[in-house]
Amino acid sequence: MTTDQRSRRVAVVEHRLVNPPAGGLDALAELERRGWGVVALPPAGYPAAVARPLLAQVATHVEEFVRHGYVVIVVGRHPGLRPALARLGVPDPEAIAPRTSAELGAFLDVRGQR
Amino acid sequence: MGRRVAFVAHCLLNQNAKVIGGALCPGVYSPLVERLRAAGWELEQMPCPELAFTGLNRFWAVREQYDTRAYREHCRTIARAVAGAVAIRTAAGDEVVVVGLEGSPSMGVRITSSDPERAGRPEWPDGAGELTPGRGILVEELLDELRERGVATPRAIGIGHQLPDHDPDSEREELDVFLAGP
Repeated sequence: MTTDQRSRRVAVVEHRLVNPPAGGLDALAELERRGWGVVALPPAGYPAAVARPLLAQVATHVEEFVRHGYVVIVVGRHPGLRPALARLGVPDPEAIAPRTSAELGAFLDVRGQR
Repeated sequence: MGRRVAFVAHCLLNQNAKVIGGALCPGVYSPLVERLRAAGWELEQMPCPELAFTGLNRFWAVREQYDTRAYREHCRTIARAVAGAVAIRTAAGDEVVVVGLEGSPSMGVRITSSDPERAGRPEWPDGAGELTPGRGILVEELLDELRERGVATPRAIGIGHQLPDHDPDSEREELDVFLAGP
């Protein structure tokens, strides 16, 4: 068995920041480079009936990571995330809606040291 | 022309979800993400059924230990959620593939883990022969859910980075062929 290499740092990330358009902010690359795990949110364009059960699963994941003391943050937005977390009584994680890689990097540097 | 969308096993973007002892890198499994992005695939992530059911401090387990009615129902709940997204994508004319995790009792596509006798105190010899051809439980439930909805079955492949004979070069070649299309 190899030594477990997990970072205990998890970012819940908006779909368009995982899959950026050409020239868009590539949050996935920044998170990957800095050793964060990614929980990808569903695309903003999905109907609520499709997004809601996916967000419910995201919330259960976040709850479990928080329960074990992992650092959890949100990068970007999804209107259904906060209600999904609230349904499980999970406090909103610290969040950022970054405009640049440098802004995201600075945010990650601080949170990653906790 | 539609997009190309890969629904990937949760842990391939987040190794923090792995069973303790199983995380092969800090977070994102880069070799897969790089190949998918290089070939123009959009990423969606499937939930981790084991994380939500037995938690971060779960034991390593084989398929038979998870194959209960309660776990099947849990996996079907997740499968319904994922199938809803797959259905939207296919209806939009997107090409969809599933990328699972070989050797996993839940996410295996061609290889799962099996030991009908495993039970009790979690000690067993290293190299126990638990790997066996077959699908993981969530992958089975997802394919069943898609079939019941009349959604075309997506092509599927599994990443084998946790298998003892894993060869990154041959896997990269196989992945490239798979992503290039049927």
